[in-house]
Amino acid sequence: MTSIETPTENPTRPAIARVQGLKVHFASKKGPVHAVDGVDFDIADGEMLGLVGETGCGKSVTGRAFLGLIPQPPARIAGGRILFRPRRREDTSEDTPEFRPCPTCKGADIVCATCNGSGYDTLDLLAVKPRTMRAIRGRRIAMIFQDPGKALNPILTIGDQLAEVFLQHASADLLADIGGTGDMGGLAAGAVGRAARQESGRLDGILSRVPPVRGHLRRLRAALEDRIAAALAETQISNPRRVIRSYPHELSGGMRQRVMIAQALACDPDLIIADEPTTALDVTIQAKIMELIKMLQEKRKTSVLYISHDLSLVRRTCDRVVVMYAGRVAEVGGVREVFAAPRHPYTRGLLDAIPRSGETRGVLASIPGTVPELVSPPPGCRFADRCVHVMPECTRVNPTLQPLTPDQSVSCFLAHPPAPGAAHKEPELQET
Amino acid sequence: MNVKVDTDGTVAHQDDAGDVLLSVRNLRKYFPIKDGVLQNVVGHVKAVDGVSFDIRRGETVGLVGESGCGKSTLSGCVSGLTDPTGGSVHFNTRGRGSAHGPLDEGDRIDRMDRATFAKYRRNVQMVFQDNFASLNPRQLVVDIVGRPLRVHGIASGTALQEKVVELLEQVGLGRQHLYRYPHQFSGGQRQRISIARALALDPELIVLDEPTSALDVSVQAQILNLLNDLQAERHLAYLFITHDLSVVRHMADRTITMYLGKVVEEGPTQDLFETPEHPYTKVLLAAKPDLDDDPDVPIQTLAGSIPDPARPPSGCRFHTRCPVATSTCGWEIDDIVRELETREDLFDKLVGVDRKSDLEATLTFSDSAAAHAVWEAIRSDSVPETMRDAIETLDVRDGALMVRFAKPSAIELREVGTGHRAACILAGE
Repeated sequence: MTSIETPTENPTRPAIARVQGLKVHFASKKGPVHAVDGVDFDIADGEMLGLVGETGCGKSVTGRAFLGLIPQPPARIAGGRILFRPRRREDTSEDTPEFRPCPTCKGADIVCATCNGSGYDTLDLLAVKPRTMRAIRGRRIAMIFQDPGKALNPILTIGDQLAEVFLQHASADLLADIGGTGDMGGLAAGAVGRAARQESGRLDGILSRVPPVRGHLRRLRAALEDRIAAALAETQISNPRRVIRSYPHELSGGMRQRVMIAQALACDPDLIIADEPTTALDVTIQAKIMELIKMLQEKRKTSVLYISHDLSLVRRTCDRVVVMYAGRVAEVGGVREVFAAPRHPYTRGLLDAIPRSGETRGVLASIPGTVPELVSPPPGCRFADRCVHVMPECTRVNPTLQPLTPDQSVSCFLAHPPAPGAAHKEPELQET
Repeated sequence: MNVKVDTDGTVAHQDDAGDVLLSVRNLRKYFPIKDGVLQNVVGHVKAVDGVSFDIRRGETVGLVGESGCGKSTLSGCVSGLTDPTGGSVHFNTRGRGSAHGPLDEGDRIDRMDRATFAKYRRNVQMVFQDNFASLNPRQLVVDIVGRPLRVHGIASGTALQEKVVELLEQVGLGRQHLYRYPHQFSGGQRQRISIARALALDPELIVLDEPTSALDVSVQAQILNLLNDLQAERHLAYLFITHDLSVVRHMADRTITMYLGKVVEEGPTQDLFETPEHPYTKVLLAAKPDLDDDPDVPIQTLAGSIPDPARPPSGCRFHTRCPVATSTCGWEIDDIVRELETREDLFDKLVGVDRKSDLEATLTFSDSAAAHAVWEAIRSDSVPETMRDAIETLDVRDGALMVRFAKPSAIELREVGTGHRAACILAGE
């Protein structure tokens, strides 16, 4: 499997994940909808990367593809890879055989150049076995969903829901904490994890299925509660012990989102996919939640893929931003560069469409036309029919994403005039 | 008709009462809370509690606030969909170019005769936030947009169809869309259909309840431009309800900020945004990140969460979260109870609260140690300093804690600039 080379843009920050030519098509009556059609970007280790675009541009599908959360069918992964390299970690009990050590250093060297010291070989998240994906979900890559009201189970208490995460992914740790299980530690841990997976429900039910831990039930429950309370306290929930016993409907929207964040961070994941985490919240609460995510991300050096349509929030919180349009990447770059000097006409149009505080009233610059249908899209740039700078080449050849400066890449012929003669053939896919 | 929109967007107001199209006076809407098998009313959620404002012809009034502040309830009362508990809504049904005259009792919408009320209904239309839920999924566009025309007997048959085409063209759609169902359109197009339906009866006021919050920015820009064009063409008045301050700033001539069912500030949009007087407006403005601000300056956030509207704080309702609250902002017994709720160990020991008034009560605890701990806590830094200052007497005697607060100042909306009013004792200082 190819390794993730150090991305040229940022030599100090190696990539933790790389999306390469990702294509996701959805079956529809009219034919396959090319929802994601050749998306490439990197997520650097410890960075907060914004993924912005309008409804239907494929940003959520891209985010969900990381965790294998795309229902197939109707979807079909039509191509591409999502490479991911787990971070070095003390507790390797959750690793599956697919977590291979780095081919160069065999996991021994913490300054190894091939694996950037993580000790792991890269995994293709689109090709791993279900078992490996289960080991990754929650433990290595976690997700924060848009609507915490829907993402939390309404018939389980917050405590029971968070317990599941620990039981599935950190049961060995937990059993070691309470001690006394002696020689059967590893076996019991596996059994607890399995029980938690099969019986999604009340904690007592899960634990009573595992004979060796029955005797330690009280201690185990106390240890779990301590961990859950600590996880909740970290998201600045003022009264964690009371929240543990609450049901989701008893909490406000902001509180529920904090619980979601606690759940996502519970196992200290390497990468968090945050899919519009504040869209359902009020501005004052939104500001607090974003501040919290940013604070925790900086503290733990976790990488975050922040999916949003709110450009001003992305500008504030992210290091780099990927702008998507109609299933493709229009522009990638550092937030300062992209927001100060957008090079793709779509990014420019998007920024101009936001009412600004500087001016009152007047006509807002809107992008004419609508997003194209993604059923058998024509060749060429997806933005061509709405673009004010459209050139003849734009409707024939698809502009590829090319670096402009070390910090900014754009897929537009305005920035990269097409090579003479290239106009007649589709550029070949960027496969490494 | 005498409202002129300057280039910079401010409205040249005339002190002409005849200009007033809609006037809301001391409007209240309480929703009962029912409990138990018999569904007895155990309290009221005061969604809107004493709100007054005017809308003049051709102007846009923005209404902002967090969810739960009562802005959507208010819009329901204004458009006659919800019957208010108290107060009144007046509407000028005499039509454009009518002889001027102040709105009086005869213009109250709940006292209108049938014919006048029908006129009011025609002249006040609504566009809802959820453009999918507000269009009947089983009806064709021609039926949806033509419905008001049919109901009011304005057109039928081919004439109706032509009128619908005309309306669709005004909102940027066309004849080809007549025989389609709502699900065949994008969100922005559906919102255009809603607007076409609202325009069908040539109303004077359109209540826009978060018309763009479900839309993408580029589509939002299209809809906002459309609304501005229509206003210029037809001299429409808008009541624009939103939580997006940059949109309000772009659209509204005057802006009203609401918090927990009350108006806390109102004024010309430009004044309100440049010199906000109420701390809540200031927080709302600071909480919204903007493309032009400095990303390194942290966003100001607000402590605590919105209090229960069933027992709103007395005095200024914002005093529980206000960063600049003073000792006379309305501190009361409930503030001690709220404080206790965050201290589970002590709250569990609270046996009863014997209130003499909102300002004076005896709190009984199951043991005297708990009462003493609360007494300590109230005197310590764990409660806001201004709240401590507001306490006149604080005595602890075997498990009972006697508290009396000083009388707060009266907090009402008062003038802080031309047409700019704020309900804060610090305003204008």
